[in-house]
Formats: sequence, structure tokens, C-alpha cells
Amino acid sequence: MLIFIGETYADMGLSPEELQERMGKWFAWSNKMEAAGIVKGGEALHDPVRRISGPDRVVTDGPFAESKELVGGYFIVSAKDMDEAEEIAQDFPDYDLGSTVEIREIMVFDQ
Amino acid sequence: MDSQVVDHLFRHQYGKMIAVLTNIFGLPHLELIEDALQDTFVKATLQWRKKIPENPEAWFIKSAKNRTIDLLRKVKADQVRNDKISHGAASIHLNDLFLDHEIEDSQLRMIFVACHPELAPEEQLAFALKTISGFSLKEISAALLTKEETIKKRLSRARKKVAEKQIRFEFPDKSELSARLAGVLRVIYLIFNEGFHSTKREQLIDRELCGEALRLNQLLLKKEMLRSGSSYALFGLLCFHAARLESKISENDSIIDLEHQDRSLWHFPLIKIGNDSMNKAVTYPDRSKYHLEAAIAAEHLKAKSFQDTNWHAILALYKKLQQQNPSELGRLNMLIVLIQLKKFDLVAGELPLIDESKLNQRAYLLWATWADFHYRTGDKKSALRYMDKALETVNNELERNYLLKKRNDYL
Repeated sequence: MLIFIGETYADMGLSPEELQERMGKWFAWSNKMEAAGIVKGGEALHDPVRRISGPDRVVTDGPFAESKELVGGYFIVSAKDMDEAEEIAQDFPDYDLGSTVEIREIMVFDQ
Repeated sequence: MDSQVVDHLFRHQYGKMIAVLTNIFGLPHLELIEDALQDTFVKATLQWRKKIPENPEAWFIKSAKNRTIDLLRKVKADQVRNDKISHGAASIHLNDLFLDHEIEDSQLRMIFVACHPELAPEEQLAFALKTISGFSLKEISAALLTKEETIKKRLSRARKKVAEKQIRFEFPDKSELSARLAGVLRVIYLIFNEGFHSTKREQLIDRELCGEALRLNQLLLKKEMLRSGSSYALFGLLCFHAARLESKISENDSIIDLEHQDRSLWHFPLIKIGNDSMNKAVTYPDRSKYHLEAAIAAEHLKAKSFQDTNWHAILALYKKLQQQNPSELGRLNMLIVLIQLKKFDLVAGELPLIDESKLNQRAYLLWATWADFHYRTGDKKSALRYMDKALETVNNELERNYLLKKRNDYL
């Protein structure tokens, strides 16, 4: 699973022109992966966050101080190991905006 | 891989949607509208990653309509009483407002708001680029070479004035139309010049400014009541200038002057459109400085080579321009032409009369002209001295490099 973490486009105040450019880059990347048949799924997430934590189930609504570390979406891709997933993540379009990709292997349980 | 979406679609759609929604909700809700649209565009960005809609424009219109309905609810919930809305909630024919010509009409109204005389010129520019052209603060500050903080202040001053002066989202009355139209043309001219004459590192943004100016001018010409000699002449002028855009900066980012430009790179279709526009311009009774400036640009375009330039014709046009619109830069331009005509005695008498303080950041042009004058009259030492002075005053890197190159040629 490739998890995308960073500030939201809305918070960065990207212009329509910049948004279009981002869209184009993502489109190209996701098409490239589709063509290679490695995408198994993925979604983009809405910005608002609600957190429930602790034994008292304390509820807090975002935005949080660490808004630059918001999970914005994910892709599930098939890769034989971390290195291959890392290779796939090279094309993630938003590194220049300070965003991060976190690679996690989905656990497969024994039947 | 191609993203299958036409260039600048988002930016253009943004300007359209802002205008339509403002037409529906009124200027007092401008900020609310801008926020709502920002959401819509972010959403498009995310949603289109995987699949781009078959008709992207229709997608935007549909989602803007949905936004309108959301906003109607919100505005009502906030107990904001706006005549148009409370009267019209049921009766607004929403779909009608999204027809092409209605969208254009709304955009034109927005242009008149942006260029309202209550706003200072620098506020007009910032407001127009933000609200009509959908530039971000960052893009505006890069385009105008001004700090983001300053642009932010200009925008908020502009918004405040729009609210306080109760500027309405309407076309000006007939009695003030020609004066207000002149104001709009001036802003378009400024936007173009920011792109054309400034030579910043980031050329992309320059081209976009020129493109925006052309687009806005074209929009004006679509509306009968806004057609005039000056609006056609300005369009002609912008086309003539834009035709040379490709040839004035070299691949390694240095300025190429008119003398050394590759004339085969000039964009012929634009010259043709400019000519057509000038032919229309002269069928209207009004005359403007744009007519003369376009005529000067046309003279340059007509010349097969720099040597073929009809400097006498250009001089006559500059003289007329000077009579109509006297400026220090205009005087200097005339002397530059006189140097080409080798009328050195005349130049020697006139050049000392030019007031550098009136040229502001273009003062270096005066010193460079002095340098050129001395060089051509065989006084190399003075030429170098003046070129050094020009180099001291120029603050743009590309211009500096250009002058440095000239200085080297003197040696």
C-alpha cells in the first residue's frame, strides 16, 4: 500500500492552473500503473478529519496542528517487495510540494 | 502522457464560474464564492486523476450549479437577506445563467468591477488577475515581481472598496461607458505589458500574462456595446506585439533586440488577426494611443529586415503619439528613432533635456541611449561611461546581461 501524506491542496492555496498541472501528473501516473496492471485499488480522501482517542473516546475535529502530515489517499499496488514498491513510488507527483509516500505491506494471513 | 485537457482549462473555468456565481449571489458574497469554487477545483483534481470526464467543461458547469444550490442554502441559513436571492430562489432560472453568452456577460461585468475607478491601478491589476484570471497569490506576485504579502494587502483593500463603495455587478451607464471602457483597456494593456516588457527568469508566467490580456480583450470585442476604435486598436496592438514574443528571448534566456530578431519566427497568423482588427478599428470614430502604437508596431512588422525599417514613418507616428499623449518615455523613443536616422545634431540638442526622474525604473534606457549616441558618433570613451551608468541603474538581470553584451561590443 502506498499512503500519501502531506498538506492538502486547499491549504496550500494552489491556483486552478497549478491544480490542473497536478491533475495531469496524477493522471499520467495512474494511467501508467493501470497500463502495467499493478493497481489493485486506491482512493482519495476528503480533508475533514475527526479523531476519537483514548479510553474516554475523546472526539476532536481537524484541522490539527500537524496538518502537513495529513493522509490524503492511498493506492494498493502489487509489488514483489519493498524495493519494487519504492520503484513504483518514484513517480508520485507531489514530492516537490513536500509530500511523502509511506510504503506498507498489507499483511496476508494464513488460511 | 497527455492529460487530455486543454491548456488553462481550470483557470478559464474558474474565472467563468466566479463571474456566474457572483452574478447570482452578488459581490458581497465574493469570498464565500471563491472558497466554494476552490473546493470544486480541488475535487476535480482528485476525481480526474483516474478518469477525465468526457466533457470537462460540462463537468465544471454542473458542479458549479450544484455549488450554487449549496450556497443558496448556506446563504439563507446565515440569514443573509439578499433581494435577488430571496426574490428569486424559486424563480432564478439557473440554467439560463450558465448559457455561454450569459457566462461571457458575467465575466465582462466582473472586468468592469475589477477596473472600477474607485480601485487604485495596482489594486485593479491584482484584483483582475485573481478574480477574472484565477491566478493564485503566488502567481500574481511572480507575475508582478511583488511580494506575496503586498499582493494580499492590495487584494483585501480592493475587496474592501468593492464592499464599501457598494460597487455593483453591472455594466456602467451609457453616460460613463466610454470612460469606464478606457479604464478597462488600460488594465488589459498593463497586464500585457507586464508580460511583454518584463523579462523575468520565469518566462512562462510572462507568456500567460500576454495570453490573458489577449483573451480579455477578445471577450470585450464579443459584446457589441464594448466595441470601439480603441478596443479594436488595442487588440491589434497586442496581436502585433504577441507575434514577436517567440523571437525576443533566445534559448539561453537572453534578450534579442529588434535588430537581431529572427523575423521568420514572427507569428504570421497573429499579425493577420491584428491587421483585421486595425481595419475594424478605423471604422469607429474614436482614436486612441493604441491606434498609433499599433501603427508603429505594424511598421516594424512590415520591414523585411531591420535595415528596411521605415524610420521616417515611425518618427512621424511617434510625433503624433507625443502630441496626443506626451510622455518622457515617448520623447526618448523619438530620439532613439532619430539616432537610427543619423540626425545626431538634433539628438545632441534634445537628449540632455530628458528628465531621468520621470522615467522611473526605465531610467537605464536613457543612459543606454546616451551610450549608443556616443558610440555612433565615435566617442567610445563616453559610450562606455554611460553604459556603466545604465548598468548601475538597471535592476533586471536579463536587461543587465543585454547591456553587458552591448558594452562588450563597444570594446
